[in-house]
Amino acid sequence: MTEARIHDRGYLAYDGPRHGSGRAMVVLGYHTVQRVLGLKRSNWQKVMPAIALLVAFVPAIVFIGLAALLPASSDLDLGDPAGYYVPISFVLFLFTSFVTPEALCTDRSSGMLGLYLASPLNRDTYLASKFVAVIAVLGIMTIGPTLLMLIAFTLDGSGPDGALDWLIEFGRVLGAGLAMAAFWGSLALAVSSLSPRRTLASVAIFVSLLVSAAVGDGLSQGAELGDSFALLNMIALPIETVYRIYGEVNPDGPPIRHVETLPILFTFLGLIVVFGWFARWRYQRIEVTG
Amino acid sequence: MSDIVISARGVQKSYGSNHVLQGLDCDIGRGITGLLGPNGAGKSTFMGLVLGLRPRQGGELNVLGVDPEQSGPELRAKLGYAPEHHDLPGDVQAADLVRHIAQLHGLPRRAATERASDALWQVGLGEERFRPVGTMSTGQRQRVKMAQALAHDPDLLLLDEPTDGLDPVQRDDMLALIRRVGREFGIDILLSSHLLEEVERVCDSVVILANGAVGHSGALDGLGSAATGVKVELDSDPQPLAAALAAQGAEAVIDGHIINVTGHDAAADLIRDLVADLGLGLRRLEPRRTTLEDVFIEASR
Repeated sequence: MTEARIHDRGYLAYDGPRHGSGRAMVVLGYHTVQRVLGLKRSNWQKVMPAIALLVAFVPAIVFIGLAALLPASSDLDLGDPAGYYVPISFVLFLFTSFVTPEALCTDRSSGMLGLYLASPLNRDTYLASKFVAVIAVLGIMTIGPTLLMLIAFTLDGSGPDGALDWLIEFGRVLGAGLAMAAFWGSLALAVSSLSPRRTLASVAIFVSLLVSAAVGDGLSQGAELGDSFALLNMIALPIETVYRIYGEVNPDGPPIRHVETLPILFTFLGLIVVFGWFARWRYQRIEVTG
Repeated sequence: MSDIVISARGVQKSYGSNHVLQGLDCDIGRGITGLLGPNGAGKSTFMGLVLGLRPRQGGELNVLGVDPEQSGPELRAKLGYAPEHHDLPGDVQAADLVRHIAQLHGLPRRAATERASDALWQVGLGEERFRPVGTMSTGQRQRVKMAQALAHDPDLLLLDEPTDGLDPVQRDDMLALIRRVGREFGIDILLSSHLLEEVERVCDSVVILANGAVGHSGALDGLGSAATGVKVELDSDPQPLAAALAAQGAEAVIDGHIINVTGHDAAADLIRDLVADLGLGLRRLEPRRTTLEDVFIEASR
Protein backbone atom coordinates (compact mmCIF):
# COMPACT_ATOMS: atom_id res chain seq x y z
CA MET A 1 0.00 0.00 0.00
CA THR A 2 1.41 3.39 -0.90
CA GLU A 3 1.60 6.07 1.75
CA ALA A 4 -0.29 9.24 0.83
CA ARG A 5 0.89 12.58 2.18
CA ILE A 6 -0.52 16.05 1.86
CA HIS A 7 2.37 18.30 0.95
CA ASP A 8 0.56 21.61 0.71
CA ARG A 9 -2.77 22.37 2.34
CA GLY A 10 -2.80 25.80 0.74
CA TYR A 11 -3.57 28.92 2.68
CA LEU A 12 -6.48 28.57 5.07
CA ALA A 13 -8.48 31.53 6.32
CA TYR A 14 -9.06 31.72 10.07
CA ASP A 15 -12.68 31.95 11.18
CA GLY A 16 -12.24 30.98 14.83
CA PRO A 17 -12.51 33.13 17.95
CA ARG A 18 -10.26 36.13 18.51
CA HIS A 19 -9.41 37.67 21.86
CA GLY A 20 -8.93 41.38 22.45
CA SER A 21 -6.14 43.55 23.75
CA GLY A 22 -6.65 42.31 27.34
CA ARG A 23 -5.61 38.85 26.25
CA ALA A 24 -2.66 40.33 24.35
CA MET A 25 -1.48 41.90 27.61
CA VAL A 26 -1.67 38.53 29.37
CA VAL A 27 0.23 36.84 26.52
CA LEU A 28 2.97 39.47 26.59
CA GLY A 29 3.17 39.42 30.40
CA TYR A 30 3.50 35.63 30.49
CA HIS A 31 6.11 35.73 27.74
CA THR A 32 8.07 38.40 29.64
CA VAL A 33 8.03 36.36 32.86
CA GLN A 34 9.42 33.41 30.90
CA ARG A 35 12.14 35.56 29.32
CA VAL A 36 13.20 37.17 32.59
CA LEU A 37 13.36 33.82 34.37
CA GLY A 38 15.35 32.36 31.49
CA LEU A 39 12.72 29.75 30.63
CA LYS A 40 12.93 28.32 27.09
CA ARG A 41 16.35 29.94 26.85
CA SER A 42 19.91 28.70 27.10
CA ASN A 43 21.18 27.30 30.40
CA TRP A 44 23.42 30.30 30.80
CA GLN A 45 20.36 32.58 30.84
CA LYS A 46 18.85 30.50 33.64
CA VAL A 47 21.84 30.82 35.98
CA MET A 48 21.24 34.27 37.45
CA PRO A 49 17.48 33.85 38.03
CA ALA A 50 18.10 30.42 39.57
CA ILE A 51 20.75 31.77 41.94
CA ALA A 52 18.53 34.70 42.91
CA LEU A 53 15.59 32.42 43.68
CA LEU A 54 17.84 30.06 45.59
CA VAL A 55 19.34 32.80 47.73
CA ALA A 56 15.91 34.29 48.40
CA PHE A 57 14.20 31.05 49.31
CA VAL A 58 16.81 28.89 51.01
CA PRO A 59 16.76 30.62 54.42
CA ALA A 60 12.97 30.51 54.52
CA ILE A 61 12.96 26.84 53.55
CA VAL A 62 15.49 26.13 56.28
CA PHE A 63 13.26 27.93 58.78
CA ILE A 64 10.29 25.86 57.68
CA GLY A 65 12.30 22.67 57.98
CA LEU A 66 13.48 23.56 61.46
CA ALA A 67 9.97 24.56 62.50
CA ALA A 68 8.64 21.25 61.25
CA LEU A 69 11.38 19.07 62.72
CA LEU A 70 12.10 20.64 66.06
CA PRO A 71 9.58 20.45 68.88
CA ALA A 72 7.66 23.62 69.72
CA SER A 73 9.41 23.79 73.09
CA SER A 74 12.85 24.20 71.54
CA ASP A 75 12.63 28.01 71.56
CA LEU A 76 13.44 28.22 67.90
CA ASP A 77 14.15 31.86 67.01
CA LEU A 78 12.60 32.45 63.60
CA GLY A 79 13.82 36.00 63.49
CA ASP A 80 12.06 39.20 62.50
CA PRO A 81 9.91 39.05 59.31
CA ALA A 82 10.79 42.62 58.31
CA GLY A 83 14.47 41.82 58.81
CA TYR A 84 14.20 39.11 56.18
CA TYR A 85 13.88 41.83 53.52
CA VAL A 86 17.47 42.97 54.11
CA PRO A 87 19.08 39.90 52.48
CA ILE A 88 16.23 39.80 49.94
CA SER A 89 17.09 43.39 49.01
CA PHE A 90 20.61 42.31 48.22
CA VAL A 91 19.22 39.66 45.88
CA LEU A 92 16.80 42.18 44.36
CA PHE A 93 19.61 44.66 43.89
CA LEU A 94 21.57 42.16 41.77
CA PHE A 95 18.53 40.69 40.05
CA THR A 96 17.09 44.10 39.15
CA SER A 97 20.43 45.28 37.85
CA PHE A 98 21.39 42.28 35.79
CA VAL A 99 18.20 40.45 34.82
CA THR A 100 15.19 42.76 34.65
CA PRO A 101 16.56 44.91 31.75
CA GLU A 102 15.73 41.81 29.67
CA ALA A 103 12.08 42.79 30.03
CA LEU A 104 12.40 45.99 28.01
CA CYS A 105 15.82 46.34 26.38
CA THR A 106 15.71 43.15 24.32
CA ASP A 107 12.41 44.11 22.69
CA ARG A 108 14.02 47.26 21.35
CA SER A 109 17.33 45.78 20.31
CA SER A 110 15.66 42.78 18.65
CA GLY A 111 13.00 44.81 16.86
CA MET A 112 10.19 43.06 18.72
CA LEU A 113 8.84 46.38 20.01
CA GLY A 114 7.69 47.26 16.48
CA LEU A 115 5.88 43.93 16.18
CA TYR A 116 4.28 44.35 19.60
CA LEU A 117 3.02 47.84 18.83
CA ALA A 118 1.68 46.60 15.50
CA SER A 119 -0.53 44.19 17.47
CA PRO A 120 -3.62 45.10 19.52
CA LEU A 121 -1.24 46.39 22.21
CA ASN A 122 -0.43 50.07 22.41
CA ARG A 123 2.43 51.80 24.19
CA ASP A 124 0.58 52.03 27.49
CA THR A 125 -0.74 48.48 27.54
CA TYR A 126 2.68 47.24 26.45
CA LEU A 127 4.38 48.99 29.36
CA ALA A 128 1.66 47.94 31.79
CA SER A 129 2.17 44.29 30.76
CA LYS A 130 5.90 44.62 31.23
CA PHE A 131 5.49 46.30 34.61
CA VAL A 132 3.13 43.62 35.90
CA ALA A 133 5.41 40.88 34.57
CA VAL A 134 8.47 42.35 36.29
CA ILE A 135 6.52 42.78 39.53
CA ALA A 136 5.34 39.18 39.25
CA VAL A 137 8.92 37.91 38.94
CA LEU A 138 10.24 40.14 41.70
CA GLY A 139 7.19 39.24 43.76
CA ILE A 140 8.26 35.60 43.73
CA MET A 141 11.30 36.73 45.68
CA THR A 142 9.68 39.38 47.84
CA ILE A 143 6.45 37.57 48.72
CA GLY A 144 7.39 33.90 48.39
CA PRO A 145 10.00 33.59 51.16
CA THR A 146 8.14 35.77 53.65
CA LEU A 147 4.95 33.85 52.99
CA LEU A 148 6.88 30.69 53.75
CA MET A 149 8.20 32.43 56.87
CA LEU A 150 4.65 33.17 57.96
CA ILE A 151 3.78 29.53 57.46
CA ALA A 152 6.86 28.59 59.47
CA PHE A 153 5.86 30.90 62.32
CA THR A 154 2.36 29.45 62.27
CA LEU A 155 3.58 25.85 62.24
CA ASP A 156 5.95 26.63 65.07
CA GLY A 157 3.10 28.01 67.09
CA SER A 158 4.85 31.34 67.36
CA GLY A 159 2.82 32.97 64.59
CA PRO A 160 0.07 35.58 64.94
CA ASP A 161 -2.61 34.84 67.50
CA GLY A 162 -6.04 34.27 66.02
CA ALA A 163 -7.45 34.52 62.53
CA LEU A 164 -7.60 38.32 62.47
CA ASP A 165 -3.96 38.78 63.46
CA TRP A 166 -2.96 36.13 60.97
CA LEU A 167 -4.80 37.96 58.21
CA ILE A 168 -3.18 41.27 59.22
CA GLU A 169 0.23 39.62 59.07
CA PHE A 170 -0.67 38.03 55.75
CA GLY A 171 -1.67 41.47 54.45
CA ARG A 172 1.69 42.87 55.58
CA VAL A 173 3.52 40.08 53.79
CA LEU A 174 1.62 40.78 50.59
CA GLY A 175 1.77 44.57 50.94
CA ALA A 176 5.47 44.70 51.80
CA GLY A 177 6.35 42.22 49.05
CA LEU A 178 4.31 44.02 46.42
CA ALA A 179 5.62 47.43 47.50
CA MET A 180 9.20 46.28 47.27
CA ALA A 181 8.63 44.57 43.91
CA ALA A 182 6.85 47.66 42.56
CA PHE A 183 9.72 49.94 43.63
CA TRP A 184 12.50 47.83 42.14
CA GLY A 185 10.41 47.00 39.08
CA SER A 186 9.54 50.61 38.29
CA LEU A 187 13.17 51.63 38.79
CA ALA A 188 14.30 48.89 36.41
CA LEU A 189 11.78 49.91 33.75
CA ALA A 190 12.64 53.60 34.02
CA VAL A 191 16.37 53.03 33.61
CA SER A 192 15.89 50.33 30.95
CA SER A 193 13.78 52.74 28.91
CA LEU A 194 16.90 54.84 28.35
CA SER A 195 18.70 52.36 26.14
CA PRO A 196 18.05 49.28 23.99
CA ARG A 197 21.32 47.84 25.25
CA ARG A 198 20.91 45.46 28.17
CA THR A 199 24.43 45.79 29.46
CA LEU A 200 24.20 49.55 29.50
CA ALA A 201 20.90 49.42 31.38
CA SER A 202 22.33 46.95 33.89
CA VAL A 203 25.32 49.15 34.60
CA ALA A 204 23.08 52.21 34.82
CA ILE A 205 20.77 50.56 37.38
CA PHE A 206 23.69 49.23 39.39
CA VAL A 207 25.55 52.53 39.43
CA SER A 208 22.47 54.68 40.07
CA LEU A 209 21.60 52.60 43.14
CA LEU A 210 25.12 52.75 44.53
CA VAL A 211 25.39 56.47 43.82
CA SER A 212 22.02 57.14 45.43
CA ALA A 213 23.13 55.27 48.56
CA ALA A 214 26.43 57.13 48.71
CA VAL A 215 24.85 60.53 48.06
CA GLY A 216 21.92 59.99 50.44
CA ASP A 217 24.00 58.77 53.36
CA GLY A 218 26.84 61.15 52.59
CA LEU A 219 24.60 64.22 52.65
CA SER A 220 22.63 63.17 55.70
CA GLN A 221 25.40 61.74 57.81
CA GLY A 222 28.73 62.86 56.37
CA ALA A 223 27.75 66.45 55.55
CA GLU A 224 25.18 66.47 58.35
CA LEU A 225 22.62 68.27 56.18
CA GLY A 226 19.73 66.50 57.86
CA ASP A 227 18.13 63.07 58.01
CA SER A 228 15.75 63.91 55.14
CA PHE A 229 18.58 63.56 52.65
CA ALA A 230 18.77 59.89 53.61
CA LEU A 231 15.59 59.47 51.57
CA LEU A 232 17.81 59.70 48.47
CA ASN A 233 19.26 56.29 49.34
CA MET A 234 17.26 54.08 46.97
CA ILE A 235 18.67 50.87 48.45
CA ALA A 236 17.65 51.73 52.01
CA LEU A 237 14.34 53.40 51.14
CA PRO A 238 12.40 50.24 50.18
CA ILE A 239 13.84 48.31 53.14
CA GLU A 240 12.86 51.03 55.59
CA THR A 241 9.43 51.27 53.95
CA VAL A 242 8.91 47.57 54.57
CA TYR A 243 9.92 48.01 58.21
CA ARG A 244 7.33 50.79 58.53
CA ILE A 245 4.68 48.57 56.93
CA TYR A 246 5.44 46.11 59.72
CA GLY A 247 5.20 49.00 62.19
CA GLU A 248 8.89 48.84 63.02
CA VAL A 249 12.11 50.76 62.46
CA ASN A 250 15.19 49.06 61.05
CA PRO A 251 17.32 48.91 64.21
CA ASP A 252 20.65 48.55 62.42
CA GLY A 253 19.74 50.55 59.33
CA PRO A 254 21.36 53.55 57.70
CA PRO A 255 20.39 57.17 58.59
CA ILE A 256 17.00 56.84 56.91
CA ARG A 257 15.76 55.08 60.06
CA HIS A 258 15.65 58.49 61.76
CA VAL A 259 13.12 59.85 59.22
CA GLU A 260 9.40 59.87 60.08
CA THR A 261 7.15 57.28 58.44
CA LEU A 262 5.06 59.72 56.39
CA PRO A 263 7.96 61.25 54.41
CA ILE A 264 9.31 57.75 53.81
CA LEU A 265 6.01 56.49 52.40
CA PHE A 266 5.49 59.68 50.41
CA THR A 267 8.98 59.48 48.86
CA PHE A 268 8.61 55.76 48.23
CA LEU A 269 5.28 56.09 46.40
CA GLY A 270 6.41 59.29 44.68
CA LEU A 271 9.46 57.59 43.23
CA ILE A 272 7.37 54.68 41.90
CA VAL A 273 5.10 57.21 40.18
CA VAL A 274 8.05 59.19 38.81
CA PHE A 275 9.78 56.06 37.52
CA GLY A 276 6.57 54.87 35.86
CA TRP A 277 5.91 58.29 34.36
CA PHE A 278 9.46 58.49 33.04
CA ALA A 279 9.28 55.09 31.36
CA ARG A 280 5.95 56.05 29.77
CA TRP A 281 7.34 59.40 28.61
CA ARG A 282 10.30 57.65 27.01
CA TYR A 283 8.14 55.07 25.25
CA GLN A 284 5.77 57.66 23.84
CA ARG A 285 8.72 58.99 21.86
CA ILE A 286 10.21 55.82 20.46
CA GLU A 287 9.76 55.39 16.71
CA VAL A 288 9.16 51.82 15.59
CA THR A 289 8.25 52.08 11.90
CA GLY A 290 11.21 54.06 10.64
CA MET B 1 -15.80 44.52 2.04
CA SER B 2 -15.37 47.96 0.53
CA ASP B 3 -13.12 48.33 -2.50
CA ILE B 4 -11.24 51.06 -0.68
CA VAL B 5 -8.86 49.65 1.92
CA ILE B 6 -7.16 52.88 2.93
CA SER B 7 -8.55 56.35 2.39
CA ALA B 8 -6.56 59.46 3.27
CA ARG B 9 -7.81 63.04 2.99
CA GLY B 10 -5.53 65.95 3.80
CA VAL B 11 -3.43 63.89 6.23
CA GLN B 12 -0.76 65.94 7.95
CA LYS B 13 2.06 64.78 10.17
CA SER B 14 4.93 66.81 11.57
CA TYR B 15 7.82 66.11 13.86
CA GLY B 16 8.58 69.48 15.37
CA SER B 17 9.25 71.82 12.47
CA ASN B 18 9.71 68.93 10.04
CA HIS B 19 6.45 68.60 8.07
CA VAL B 20 6.68 65.03 6.82
CA LEU B 21 3.17 64.70 5.40
CA GLN B 22 1.51 67.86 4.15
CA GLY B 23 -2.05 67.13 3.14
CA LEU B 24 -1.79 63.62 1.80
CA ASP B 25 -4.77 62.46 -0.30
CA CYS B 26 -5.14 58.97 -1.67
CA ASP B 27 -7.45 55.99 -1.99
CA ILE B 28 -5.78 52.61 -1.83
CA GLY B 29 -7.91 49.82 -3.21
CA ARG B 30 -7.84 46.06 -2.94
CA GLY B 31 -4.97 43.99 -4.28
CA ILE B 32 -1.28 44.76 -4.03
CA THR B 33 -0.39 48.44 -3.82
CA GLY B 34 3.13 49.78 -3.97
CA LEU B 35 4.02 52.72 -1.77
CA LEU B 36 6.91 54.39 -3.52
CA GLY B 37 8.95 57.41 -2.71
CA PRO B 38 12.48 58.63 -2.24
CA ASN B 39 14.07 58.46 1.19
CA GLY B 40 12.38 60.90 3.53
CA ALA B 41 9.21 61.06 1.44
CA GLY B 42 7.12 59.88 4.38
CA LYS B 43 6.55 56.20 3.57
CA SER B 44 7.39 54.92 7.04
CA THR B 45 5.49 57.78 8.64
CA PHE B 46 2.43 56.90 6.56
CA MET B 47 2.80 53.23 7.60
CA GLY B 48 2.94 54.36 11.23
CA LEU B 49 -0.27 56.36 10.77
CA VAL B 50 -2.00 53.43 9.08
CA LEU B 51 -1.03 51.24 12.04
CA GLY B 52 -2.36 53.89 14.42
CA LEU B 53 0.99 54.24 16.16
CA ARG B 54 1.09 58.00 15.86
CA PRO B 55 -1.45 60.80 16.09
CA ARG B 56 -1.75 62.96 13.00
CA GLN B 57 -1.94 66.73 13.04
CA GLY B 58 -4.78 67.00 10.58
CA GLY B 59 -6.89 65.34 7.93
CA GLU B 60 -8.86 62.12 7.86
CA LEU B 61 -7.53 58.60 7.62
CA ASN B 62 -9.66 55.52 7.25
CA VAL B 63 -8.19 52.01 7.26
CA LEU B 64 -10.49 49.00 6.78
CA GLY B 65 -13.40 51.25 7.64
CA VAL B 66 -12.07 52.72 10.90
CA ASP B 67 -9.87 55.59 12.03
CA PRO B 68 -6.55 54.08 13.21
CA GLU B 69 -6.13 56.81 15.79
CA GLN B 70 -9.49 56.05 17.38
CA SER B 71 -9.59 52.25 16.99
CA GLY B 72 -5.92 51.28 16.96
CA PRO B 73 -6.05 47.98 18.90
CA GLU B 74 -9.16 46.72 17.07
CA LEU B 75 -7.68 47.69 13.71
CA ARG B 76 -4.25 46.23 14.38
CA ALA B 77 -5.84 42.86 15.17
CA LYS B 78 -6.75 42.77 11.45
CA LEU B 79 -3.39 43.99 10.18
CA GLY B 80 -0.19 42.12 9.54
CA TYR B 81 3.03 44.09 9.64
CA ALA B 82 6.50 43.10 8.53
CA PRO B 83 8.99 45.83 9.47
CA GLU B 84 12.01 46.82 7.45
CA HIS B 85 14.70 45.79 9.92
CA HIS B 86 16.11 42.26 10.02
CA ASP B 87 16.49 42.11 13.77
CA LEU B 88 14.50 39.42 15.51
CA PRO B 89 15.25 37.74 18.84
CA GLY B 90 18.01 35.31 17.95
CA ASP B 91 17.43 32.73 20.65
CA VAL B 92 13.75 32.14 19.83
CA GLN B 93 12.61 29.40 17.49
CA ALA B 94 10.79 30.63 14.40
CA ALA B 95 7.67 28.64 15.29
CA ASP B 96 7.58 30.10 18.83
CA LEU B 97 8.01 33.63 17.53
CA VAL B 98 5.25 33.33 14.93
CA ARG B 99 2.92 31.63 17.43
CA HIS B 100 3.58 34.39 19.98
CA ILE B 101 2.69 37.14 17.53
CA ALA B 102 -0.43 35.24 16.41
CA GLN B 103 -1.52 34.98 20.05
CA LEU B 104 -0.98 38.69 20.50
CA HIS B 105 -3.36 39.22 17.59
CA GLY B 106 -6.04 37.37 19.47
CA LEU B 107 -5.72 33.75 18.38
CA PRO B 108 -6.11 31.11 21.09
CA ARG B 109 -2.87 29.28 21.83
CA ARG B 110 -3.78 26.07 20.02
CA ALA B 111 -4.97 27.86 16.88
CA ALA B 112 -1.91 30.10 17.01
CA THR B 113 0.38 27.07 17.18
CA GLU B 114 -1.30 25.43 14.20
CA ARG B 115 -1.38 28.58 12.11
CA ALA B 116 2.23 29.45 12.96
CA SER B 117 3.28 26.09 11.60
CA ASP B 118 1.09 26.53 8.49
CA ALA B 119 2.37 30.07 7.88
CA LEU B 120 5.98 28.93 8.09
CA TRP B 121 5.25 26.15 5.59
CA GLN B 122 3.60 28.69 3.29
CA VAL B 123 6.65 30.92 3.28
CA GLY B 124 8.95 27.96 2.65
CA LEU B 125 10.33 27.48 6.15
CA GLY B 126 8.39 24.37 7.12
CA GLU B 127 11.49 22.27 7.64
CA GLU B 128 13.27 25.09 9.43
CA ARG B 129 10.49 26.14 11.78
CA PHE B 130 12.16 24.87 14.95
CA ARG B 131 15.45 26.61 14.27
CA PRO B 132 16.40 29.64 16.38
CA VAL B 133 15.93 32.78 14.32
CA GLY B 134 19.49 33.83 15.11
CA THR B 135 20.86 30.93 13.06
CA MET B 136 18.87 31.93 9.96
CA SER B 137 20.03 33.85 6.91
CA THR B 138 18.68 37.30 6.05
CA GLY B 139 16.39 35.76 3.44
CA GLN B 140 15.00 33.29 5.96
CA ARG B 141 14.43 36.05 8.50
CA GLN B 142 12.51 38.01 5.91
CA ARG B 143 10.33 34.93 5.49
CA VAL B 144 9.87 34.62 9.25
CA LYS B 145 8.72 38.25 9.27
CA MET B 146 6.29 37.43 6.49
CA ALA B 147 5.03 34.35 8.37
CA GLN B 148 4.41 36.29 11.60
CA ALA B 149 2.50 38.90 9.62
CA LEU B 150 0.38 36.20 7.95
CA ALA B 151 -0.30 33.71 10.72
CA HIS B 152 -3.31 35.49 12.22
CA ASP B 153 -4.96 35.80 8.78
CA PRO B 154 -4.93 39.59 8.44
CA ASP B 155 -7.19 41.56 6.13
CA LEU B 156 -4.36 43.90 5.19
CA LEU B 157 -0.64 43.22 5.10
CA LEU B 158 1.86 46.06 5.49
CA LEU B 159 5.29 45.18 4.15
CA ASP B 160 8.11 47.64 4.71
CA GLU B 161 10.97 47.06 2.24
CA PRO B 162 10.49 43.26 2.23
CA THR B 163 13.39 42.59 -0.15
CA ASP B 164 15.93 44.70 1.69
CA GLY B 165 19.19 42.82 2.17
CA LEU B 166 18.26 39.92 -0.13
CA ASP B 167 20.39 38.61 -2.97
CA PRO B 168 18.81 38.46 -6.47
CA VAL B 169 17.57 34.87 -6.11
CA GLN B 170 16.12 35.48 -2.65
CA ARG B 171 14.56 38.68 -3.96
CA ASP B 172 12.82 36.86 -6.79
CA ASP B 173 11.54 34.27 -4.33
CA MET B 174 10.25 36.93 -1.96
CA LEU B 175 8.49 38.81 -4.77
CA ALA B 176 6.90 35.56 -5.93
CA LEU B 177 5.74 34.93 -2.37
CA ILE B 178 4.26 38.43 -2.09
CA ARG B 179 2.45 37.95 -5.38
CA ARG B 180 1.12 34.61 -4.14
CA VAL B 181 -0.08 36.11 -0.86
CA GLY B 182 -1.88 38.86 -2.74
CA ARG B 183 -3.36 36.73 -5.53
CA GLU B 184 -3.93 33.28 -4.01
CA PHE B 185 -4.43 34.11 -0.34
CA GLY B 186 -6.61 37.10 -1.20
CA ILE B 187 -4.93 39.37 1.34
CA ASP B 188 -4.61 43.04 0.43
CA ILE B 189 -1.05 44.30 0.62
CA LEU B 190 0.55 47.70 1.00
CA LEU B 191 4.16 47.31 -0.05
CA SER B 192 6.58 50.09 0.82
CA SER B 193 9.63 50.15 -1.38
CA HIS B 194 12.06 52.43 -3.13
CA LEU B 195 12.73 49.89 -5.90
CA LEU B 196 10.59 50.66 -8.95
CA GLU B 197 11.27 47.37 -10.66
CA GLU B 198 9.91 45.22 -7.86
CA VAL B 199 6.81 47.36 -7.53
CA GLU B 200 6.23 47.01 -11.26
CA ARG B 201 6.61 43.25 -10.97
CA VAL B 202 4.18 42.52 -8.17
CA CYS B 203 1.84 45.46 -7.64
CA ASP B 204 -1.56 46.19 -9.12
CA SER B 205 -1.38 49.88 -8.33
CA VAL B 206 1.00 52.43 -6.96
CA VAL B 207 1.03 55.46 -4.70
CA ILE B 208 4.07 57.67 -5.09
CA LEU B 209 4.88 59.97 -2.22
CA ALA B 210 6.96 63.05 -2.81
CA ASN B 211 7.54 66.08 -0.65
CA GLY B 212 4.99 64.96 1.90
CA ALA B 213 2.13 64.51 -0.54
CA VAL B 214 0.94 62.06 -3.18
CA GLY B 215 2.77 62.76 -6.43
CA HIS B 216 0.90 60.09 -8.35
CA SER B 217 -1.50 57.27 -7.65
CA GLY B 218 -3.20 54.82 -9.94
CA ALA B 219 -3.28 51.39 -11.49
CA LEU B 220 -0.04 50.08 -12.92
CA ASP B 221 -1.65 48.42 -15.93
CA GLY B 222 -2.73 51.87 -17.13
CA LEU B 223 0.89 52.78 -17.47
CA GLY B 224 2.41 51.87 -20.81
CA SER B 225 -0.91 51.61 -22.63
CA ALA B 226 -1.01 55.26 -23.60
CA ALA B 227 1.65 56.53 -25.98
CA THR B 228 3.23 59.83 -25.04
CA GLY B 229 5.23 60.72 -28.15
CA VAL B 230 7.76 58.78 -30.18
CA LYS B 231 11.08 57.22 -29.34
CA VAL B 232 13.81 57.30 -32.02
CA GLU B 233 17.11 55.46 -31.95
CA LEU B 234 19.76 56.23 -34.55
CA ASP B 235 23.01 54.48 -35.35
CA SER B 236 24.85 57.80 -35.20
CA ASP B 237 24.95 61.10 -33.31
CA PRO B 238 21.33 62.10 -32.58
CA GLN B 239 22.16 65.82 -32.27
CA PRO B 240 21.40 66.85 -35.92
CA LEU B 241 18.02 65.14 -35.90
CA ALA B 242 17.14 66.64 -32.52
CA ALA B 243 18.00 70.10 -33.85
CA ALA B 244 15.92 69.54 -36.98
CA LEU B 245 12.97 68.33 -34.93
CA ALA B 246 13.20 71.34 -32.65
CA ALA B 247 13.22 73.59 -35.73
CA GLN B 248 9.93 71.97 -36.79
CA GLY B 249 8.34 72.72 -33.41
CA ALA B 250 8.69 69.29 -31.83
CA GLU B 251 10.15 68.79 -28.38
CA ALA B 252 13.16 66.49 -28.66
CA VAL B 253 15.05 65.26 -25.59
CA ILE B 254 18.26 63.32 -26.13
CA ASP B 255 18.87 60.34 -23.84
CA GLY B 256 22.08 58.65 -25.01
CA HIS B 257 21.48 57.39 -28.55
CA ILE B 258 17.75 57.83 -28.13
CA ILE B 259 15.62 60.90 -28.80
CA ASN B 260 12.27 61.18 -27.04
CA VAL B 261 10.01 63.28 -29.23
CA THR B 262 6.80 64.91 -28.02
CA GLY B 263 4.73 67.95 -28.90
CA HIS B 264 4.02 67.14 -32.55
CA ASP B 265 0.87 65.54 -33.92
CA ALA B 266 2.62 63.67 -36.72
CA ALA B 267 5.97 63.09 -35.10
CA ALA B 268 6.56 59.68 -36.77
CA ASP B 269 6.00 61.09 -40.27
CA LEU B 270 8.15 64.11 -39.52
CA ILE B 271 11.00 61.92 -38.20
CA ARG B 272 10.79 59.64 -41.24
CA ASP B 273 11.14 62.62 -43.56
CA LEU B 274 13.93 64.28 -41.58
CA VAL B 275 15.94 61.05 -41.28
CA ALA B 276 15.69 60.62 -45.04
CA ASP B 277 16.63 64.25 -45.71
CA LEU B 278 19.63 64.12 -43.34
CA GLY B 279 20.78 60.73 -44.58
CA LEU B 280 20.81 59.20 -41.09
CA GLY B 281 20.62 55.50 -40.23
CA LEU B 282 17.40 54.73 -38.34
CA ARG B 283 17.66 51.85 -35.90
CA ARG B 284 14.32 52.10 -34.08
CA LEU B 285 11.16 54.19 -34.25
CA GLU B 286 8.36 53.35 -31.85
CA PRO B 287 5.62 54.95 -29.77
CA ARG B 288 6.98 56.06 -26.44
CA ARG B 289 5.17 54.46 -23.46
CA THR B 290 5.09 56.02 -20.03
CA THR B 291 7.06 53.88 -17.58
CA LEU B 292 6.82 53.82 -13.82
CA GLU B 293 10.21 55.45 -13.77
CA ASP B 294 8.87 58.33 -15.86
CA VAL B 295 5.96 58.72 -13.47
CA PHE B 296 8.22 58.46 -10.45
CA ILE B 297 10.63 61.08 -11.73
CA GLU B 298 7.78 63.38 -12.69
CA ALA B 299 6.07 62.91 -9.33
CA SER B 300 9.28 63.46 -7.40
CA ARG B 301 9.98 66.82 -9.00
